[in-house]
Amino acid sequence: MLYGILYAIVILAMSPLVAGIIKTAKARLQNRRGASPLQPYFDLAKLFRKGSVVSPTTSWIFRAAPYVYFAAAAAAAGMAAAGQFGSVADMLLLIYIYGLGRFFLALASLDAGSAFGGMGGSREMYISVLVEPALLLALLTVAGPAGTTSLAGMAGAAAGAPLAFSYILAAIAFFVVLIAETGRIPVDNPDTHLELTMVHEGMVLEYSGRQLGLIHWASMIKQLTVLALFVVYFIPWGVPGLPAMIGGPVFAVKVLAAALFLALAETSTNKMRLFRLPGFLAVSCLLSLLALVAQ
Amino acid sequence: MIASQFYLSALGVLFLGVVSAFTLRPKERILNQVAHSLAALGNILAVLCAIFIFVQGEVSLPLFDWLVMGTVTARLDYLSAFFMLVMGVAGAAASIYAPGYCREYYGRRLWLMAASFNAFLLSMLLVFTVSHAAAFIVVWETMSLTSFLLVNHEWEKEANRRAAFVYLVMTHVGTVLIISAFLLLATGAGGFDFALLKQANLSGFERNAVFLCALLGFGTKAGMIPVHVWLPKAHPAAPSHVSALMSGVMIKTAIYGLCRVLLDFLGPGPLWWGELLMALAIVSCVLGVLYALMEHDLKRLLAYCSVDNIGIILLAMGAGLAFSAGGQPALAGLAWTAALFHTLNHALFKSLLFFGAGAVLQATGTKDFEVLGGLIKKMPYTAFWFLIGSAAISALPPFNGFVSEWLTFQALFYLPAGLGGIGGRVASAILIALLGLTGALAAACFVKAFGITFLAKPRSECAARAAEAPKAMLFPMGTLALLCIGLGIWPQPVLEMLKAVLAGYRGVSTAGLMTSHWFGLTVEAAPAAGVLGVPVLLALLAAGAAIALAAVHFNGRSPRRVAETWTCGIVPTPRMEYTATGFSKPIRTAFAAILRPQRHKVVEEGGNGYFGRRLAYHVSIHYVLNDKLYRPFNAGVIKAATYSKKLQSGSLQVYIGYILAVMIVALAWSVR
Repeated sequence: MLYGILYAIVILAMSPLVAGIIKTAKARLQNRRGASPLQPYFDLAKLFRKGSVVSPTTSWIFRAAPYVYFAAAAAAAGMAAAGQFGSVADMLLLIYIYGLGRFFLALASLDAGSAFGGMGGSREMYISVLVEPALLLALLTVAGPAGTTSLAGMAGAAAGAPLAFSYILAAIAFFVVLIAETGRIPVDNPDTHLELTMVHEGMVLEYSGRQLGLIHWASMIKQLTVLALFVVYFIPWGVPGLPAMIGGPVFAVKVLAAALFLALAETSTNKMRLFRLPGFLAVSCLLSLLALVAQ
Repeated sequence: MIASQFYLSALGVLFLGVVSAFTLRPKERILNQVAHSLAALGNILAVLCAIFIFVQGEVSLPLFDWLVMGTVTARLDYLSAFFMLVMGVAGAAASIYAPGYCREYYGRRLWLMAASFNAFLLSMLLVFTVSHAAAFIVVWETMSLTSFLLVNHEWEKEANRRAAFVYLVMTHVGTVLIISAFLLLATGAGGFDFALLKQANLSGFERNAVFLCALLGFGTKAGMIPVHVWLPKAHPAAPSHVSALMSGVMIKTAIYGLCRVLLDFLGPGPLWWGELLMALAIVSCVLGVLYALMEHDLKRLLAYCSVDNIGIILLAMGAGLAFSAGGQPALAGLAWTAALFHTLNHALFKSLLFFGAGAVLQATGTKDFEVLGGLIKKMPYTAFWFLIGSAAISALPPFNGFVSEWLTFQALFYLPAGLGGIGGRVASAILIALLGLTGALAAACFVKAFGITFLAKPRSECAARAAEAPKAMLFPMGTLALLCIGLGIWPQPVLEMLKAVLAGYRGVSTAGLMTSHWFGLTVEAAPAAGVLGVPVLLALLAAGAAIALAAVHFNGRSPRRVAETWTCGIVPTPRMEYTATGFSKPIRTAFAAILRPQRHKVVEEGGNGYFGRRLAYHVSIHYVLNDKLYRPFNAGVIKAATYSKKLQSGSLQVYIGYILAVMIVALAWSVR
């Protein structure tokens, strides 16, 4: 229980760092120097000092949505952390908490009455429709052999599973979903809100100041949580009987490696057309199904 | 027993409601209050009756002797009581909502509507309780006819007449199949009483025939695809409080019928029953919600969403059948619990949403939300309750829809235990993925419905002039919304009830299924073991919100400036807002193979080729089933009728010839 809270706090605190590391790594891979990995902290600090501009068209939905989105991301982080220790955390509950946050943010995108927001919200819901089955299938490759949808049970089964071909298929499938769920290239571009790539960033276009800071932070928390889940379920190998004191740093190294791989994957590809996404995620679904059959 | 007193008085009060509507015909205002108050009272009595049955045990009371048919009894067992509860809660809410909504209908045959409304409720109450096959058919038919009158109430509109006609035809096709199922059962049992039907002595073939007849017959009433066509037409045509009852309760009479036949009469069957039901159900889920997403008529959107939700209920029922067949009674108990809990949940949030749609319709005069917008400022309470209903139907935690969908997911997850082999694993995975897809589509659908209707600026005069609904209409909406939240956080009372409901049936076991803890509830239906910790989730959400508040207020109060939405330098108008058609465009494109969208673009030429043109754009979708199933079927029926017309020559000699021919055939048959 105490460890769970501690882990959740670590996820909340470290998420900007991981986002910064991905950004720096991307810059280096593109032969740029890039900003310091700590830049997201400075950005958040700046945003949380600023005031905000709010359109008179908006209603209380617009004001409440950042809180709901953040609370959902934080709750999911807490649940993922609790999944290491207790049995209360459940895979389906986790997926649907993200759904709650997305629901409110998409509503808020329609609230200001600008076409950009609506476009972002519409595309976000479209992507979520495609991601949902792929995400469920990818997690089922772990949950199926575990015989439970509880995160703790799944983690235990994943840690004890031998390395098999089906495992690699499942890992690739989940990584594709991870890219889509965290809104990264080739599904979405987190660095811009131009019309062509307008998904998540387009949806939050009307936000400014502290509300924007909350949304950015929440997105980073979500990114780290999903990365951590990837590590727990698909790179679970460690030295058996390692004490928790050393287990923590090993885990951090693995998350870092996954983040660097994300940066590499993002640099080596370009943004995909919005209507090519069904194919992209269908690949993930098929890999998961293959993995399920091969098990 | 006190429960039977409540039951009889509920019947009496609802009957009085019918009578009062006729007698008070000239005084419409009084009629409106009296008839609907009686309906509300009748429903509250039904709820009380159901609660007393759960507390004191099942009751059976003989109603009357029906000559050759035998004694008609009302056997109020737990299954009946549960459905009575579903009806009572939704019905009472609809009856309290009705007087406010019915002001629209002064001078427009209100007496007929109020009488049909009470008769509709009365017949549904009887459908849930009568335990006699022939009497069941009679009250079932009464229910169909009274609801037909309600759908047809505004018959001045061509579309409504058409909807009512399609409904009448479809419901009777269904009734024929239901009658066949009951007759097969009754011949095997040698009587019409449900207690006899339970021990019906049927061959394997006859059992299959009963299953198929019941599935298609009740499926028609439930709105299962492919026999759903009447539902999206009829539900929007009825007045909103009736739409709420039709979507919330009437289609559940079919679920009740299926429960009766599958659980009570037939018991565990072959595996393919479950497989067939799950296959039909998942098609209903996905197609229902996809069509809902394409709608911009608020009530029709909700009607299509009912097809989706019936699919979820049937999916869980199918899993239950598969588990019973596979010899997994505990898992069957889990699946049936999911199905029945979703039945109640859907009644709650769908009634709530239809009430909201009715309030919007009354305030703006339109169901087309493409011309609405900004209503959250004019109708804040309606908007808030509608939002809760939307979140609940999108299966978001911590609302009730999530709990039943989670239970359904759990049942599907353990499907390999019932189906076995690699096929079971793949089927389970695909069904889970498609149910997840359905959930995501429902969320997109309700973001669209709520966002376009209630948010941003009003898109037309009628939306700008809207005013909040009266308190009498808001009260039932609020009550249902609170129930949606309450059952989302604390579903235990209903789950305990369902344990009792399902306890007695063959192939189903609910003993020790759920255990309540402070953090939620655990499900232990070996091999299933899951934990649903919604209270823990709430605590985590509260902690997250507290962190967010602390972060925002860390540097003191946030200075806020009000400035108009940036639209690249021009004054923003409602025409710049995203439309519902635009919102669903990406999904329409991705699922083009199913939806077959067609765009109709009319460009009005101005004087100049580049400026001053007006562009009209609208999208229609092809309903595959209409083209591929109903049109050919209709054409076949008409062709068959044309052929058989030749038999009707009108000449008396030929008719006598027919009679002679039939007699000879009959004689030959009998001496064979």
